[in-house]
Amino acid sequence: MKSKINFYLIEYAINALLRQRSKNIFIVVVFTLLTALLSSIFYITNSIKYELDSTVEALPQIIVQNMKAGRHYDINVDRVDDILSINGVSDATARVWGYYYFEHAGVYFTLVGVDQFETQYKESLAKIVKSFDFDANSSMVVGQGVQRSMEQNYYKEYLNFVKPDGSMKRVALGGVFDAQTTLESNDVIVMSKEDVREIFDMSQESATDIVVTVANPEEISTIASKIKLLNPNARVITNEDLRVSYQNIFNYKSGVFLALFIIALFTFFVIIYDKASGLSSEEKREIGILKAIGWRVEDVLKEKFYESAIVSVFAYVMGVMFALFFVYVLQAPLLREIFVGFSDLKPTFELPFIFDVQTLFLVFFLSVPIYVAATIIPSWRVATLDADEVIR
Amino acid sequence: MIQLRDVTKIYELNKNDSVTALADVNLDIKEGELVVLKGASGSGKSSILSIIAALSKPTSGEVLVDGKKISKLLDNFASVYRRDNIGFIFQKYNLVPTLSVRDNILLPLVPLNLEESVAQEKLNVVMKLFAIEHKESAIVKNLSGGEQQRVAIARANVNSPKIILADEPTANLDEKLSLAFIEILRELKSLGKTIVIATHDPLFFGLDFVDREIEVHNGKILL
Repeated sequence: MKSKINFYLIEYAINALLRQRSKNIFIVVVFTLLTALLSSIFYITNSIKYELDSTVEALPQIIVQNMKAGRHYDINVDRVDDILSINGVSDATARVWGYYYFEHAGVYFTLVGVDQFETQYKESLAKIVKSFDFDANSSMVVGQGVQRSMEQNYYKEYLNFVKPDGSMKRVALGGVFDAQTTLESNDVIVMSKEDVREIFDMSQESATDIVVTVANPEEISTIASKIKLLNPNARVITNEDLRVSYQNIFNYKSGVFLALFIIALFTFFVIIYDKASGLSSEEKREIGILKAIGWRVEDVLKEKFYESAIVSVFAYVMGVMFALFFVYVLQAPLLREIFVGFSDLKPTFELPFIFDVQTLFLVFFLSVPIYVAATIIPSWRVATLDADEVIR
Repeated sequence: MIQLRDVTKIYELNKNDSVTALADVNLDIKEGELVVLKGASGSGKSSILSIIAALSKPTSGEVLVDGKKISKLLDNFASVYRRDNIGFIFQKYNLVPTLSVRDNILLPLVPLNLEESVAQEKLNVVMKLFAIEHKESAIVKNLSGGEQQRVAIARANVNSPKIILADEPTANLDEKLSLAFIEILRELKSLGKTIVIATHDPLFFGLDFVDREIEVHNGKILL
């Protein structure tokens, strides 16, 4: 039985590509690199977006900070009771935390204090508190980034924290936790509130801030206003404020992304323009010959379609595979820094694998059909001329 | 079989300049006839072949082949007409130089998507007929002029067309190869093909198997 797909045409198309091997290899290489760059940008963006969304989701609904002379100071834990008296507030917790500069590695750690008998304001913290025993002998649980920094500086079992008065506080390493997202947890050290207070020289009545949980999320802004009325000198931050702030940082990254994206597209269109601006005299002559020996315009166009589809789909698949390898196996060297940005902590931030079909389609539609059209249109122009005119 | 009625062909060179290649040409060619169109370069011989092959359209007048008007065929129908009826041997052969002999000869069959055995059979027949089977895998650009011409003739015949058109077929050949081509023509004539040759090569004049010699001069047929 005769096949509907004309394999002779496909064979002819492959032969035509092989006959102009160097030119087509060049196109495939450029096409692959551009597709890889575009795909990498999209993959990195998706991964960071996922990280940020997860981070924002885990943020407290309201944070209350004490302000004095425009600066953030410790807050008195008594304020917790005042806040709890507001209708609609389901929970309020005084947090004890701060940044500790680990001089040996030149990085900052985030010290978070917990009380095993308190309700934790964050699910990830609750898990950590449940899994580890923060006994009176000063122990801590650290994120993987912290553990790495410690090991690099030969601290395997404990860490000596330098207190503001210059004396040392030794805290034993009780465990290492995996967290939901690497962005938020790499630099975190969890220990008892007492230990954190001692390291930062805070009094027993003071806390860093207070986190508030509201029963009805629709009422967050109303309750934030009530807290502000009750504590005029406090700064009240809602999770929506933080979301906007995170998004602003991300939008800045998006600007860089846009610049790269435009460069990639521009280069691609230069190639396309070059291709669309005309066929070589050899190519024109070949189309004329094919017409003269009985090929119809549609036969010529089908053959050109196969040629361009083979090149572009092959390069697209190669580009996507290369980008997957580059982003998720090699962790996007160079590009990653642009998107993740500068960090004092230098966390070994891992890009989480996000498989997004939309991204694959977007890259496909930004590359393959454009290239196919840029090949077919000039061929169509020549194929619709009188064969006699083309051959002559 | 082939009828040209008041055919005029004018080539527009630019807005203000044009060349009249054919002026009111009338010509009848019967089935199985071998006709030689002779005349100097630029006399209009090639334009007659081009119009019979529907490679170009006449500016006015009409062309009928087997009673069917082919002078105003739409492009796709013109291609199908050529594929089914015409074997054209071009002056410069018009082969694809980087393809093999086999692939060049099979080119007219590619869009037909024939079964491989059928295509192979057709290929074998013409390669044997025109003595080129020993070069089946050779790349055309590496062949001699005579071999390239035989590939061109084989390609023109692979689809068993009724009409063979040859435009200055011996222009690039020496006398020995030209005589060999004439023998091929005799063979094709014996197969019952209708053949029209445009040439100014004296070797074609006065041949016993040529039915008619027609003089073309300044786009007109001299009677």
